[in-house]
Amino acid sequence: MTILTLVARLPLVTTELDALLRQVARRDVDAFATFYDRTRARVFGMVTRVLRDPGYSEETTQEVYLQVWRTAASYDPSAGSPLAWLLTLAHRRAVDRVRSEQAAGQRESRYGAANVDLPSDQVADSVILRDERRQVADCLDSLTDAQRECIQLAYYDGLTYVQVSERLSANLATIKSRMRDAIRGLRRCLGVA
Amino acid sequence: MTEPNDPDLTALATPYALNAVTEAERADIERRVAAAPSEVAQAFADEVRAVRETMAVVSAATAVEPPDQLRDRLLTEVNNDPVRVLRPRIKRWQTAVLAAAAALVIGLGALGVGLALRPAPTPSTAEQVFAAPDVRTVSGEIPTGGTATVVFSRDENAGVLVMNNVAPPQPGTVYQMWLVDDEGPRSAGTMDAKAVAPSTTAVLPDLGDSQTLAFTVEPGAGSAEPTTPIFAKLSLV
Repeated sequence: MTILTLVARLPLVTTELDALLRQVARRDVDAFATFYDRTRARVFGMVTRVLRDPGYSEETTQEVYLQVWRTAASYDPSAGSPLAWLLTLAHRRAVDRVRSEQAAGQRESRYGAANVDLPSDQVADSVILRDERRQVADCLDSLTDAQRECIQLAYYDGLTYVQVSERLSANLATIKSRMRDAIRGLRRCLGVA
Repeated sequence: MTEPNDPDLTALATPYALNAVTEAERADIERRVAAAPSEVAQAFADEVRAVRETMAVVSAATAVEPPDQLRDRLLTEVNNDPVRVLRPRIKRWQTAVLAAAAALVIGLGALGVGLALRPAPTPSTAEQVFAAPDVRTVSGEIPTGGTATVVFSRDENAGVLVMNNVAPPQPGTVYQMWLVDDEGPRSAGTMDAKAVAPSTTAVLPDLGDSQTLAFTVEPGAGSAEPTTPIFAKLSLV
């Protein structure tokens, strides 16, 4: 499976999701259900990876899609793809939840086992997603360990870049450029426009 | 600290896009982007966009099917959700106005049904406007106090005017509404002191090509054309 297949498929996904979002903005429940089905595994998986708690993850995923239902009209195609819009708002909610749990002092017990890999039978069973998953995993592997660690701490563990720099005892400029280089590497490897 | 050229700003685009900033940092960054020269703001936006598109693709790597009951719960909630469709430009405070307007109109409709002792054979104009895919809301302050809001649909060729906390007209006068198009103003009805307070609605059944809803004070029960200067207007464009 080459990168070209992935890149060629994305515009199709975007067109379909874009059309569905327009219908959702007009309160089309069927379109909403289809939009959910097309994107649920990506959203729930990312949220679960950040929150590491099935109950919190379900709650947060539900909030994310209710937000989609209520604010689909605010999606602006000129600002990015529907998938990027969706995952941005999902990630923001997940990170907010992690930080509020952390502030409440519950993180240590609930999140003690960091970096747990997901059991493979939970992984989304869609063939397309499986292909993409492999490609993305290859691209993640192409990063340096330091870059991958930065993405893990910032994106999946919900740390701020200042906290990442403290955790890794590296200065802020180094962390910022490491994050930027990690994204550039992924972007190039995945062929994201 | 806002520098004319903010060299650190672009370097913050990646942490910002990854949500790896605190709320305070986020607000500060957004303020600096707003104050930055357009090429800096554009470079920042491009970087943010690239990060978000990349992480959207990366989400394939962590995909996990959610439990089926989540779908059921979600669809139940959505089917029962009373929130109205809003167009992108509508601000949050206008949502409240629109919801209040909807509640008011639905309330009036129910009263009408009660009085007539039979269900309305067709949806009211207001219901059609609120259900229209192209429904829009414009709102403005009335200089003498209060607000006027028009919820309208070009598809339905109709609108609903809601006036809140508008001071009543002087005795012997009425407020008159005018739909203004290239041909000039045509009357869209009047409101007297009793109709105005504390809030009232009026249906505007035929918007035509009107670009503006204008308000004047007219003597007696109203005029065939405006006889005093317009004291408030709302753009319907």
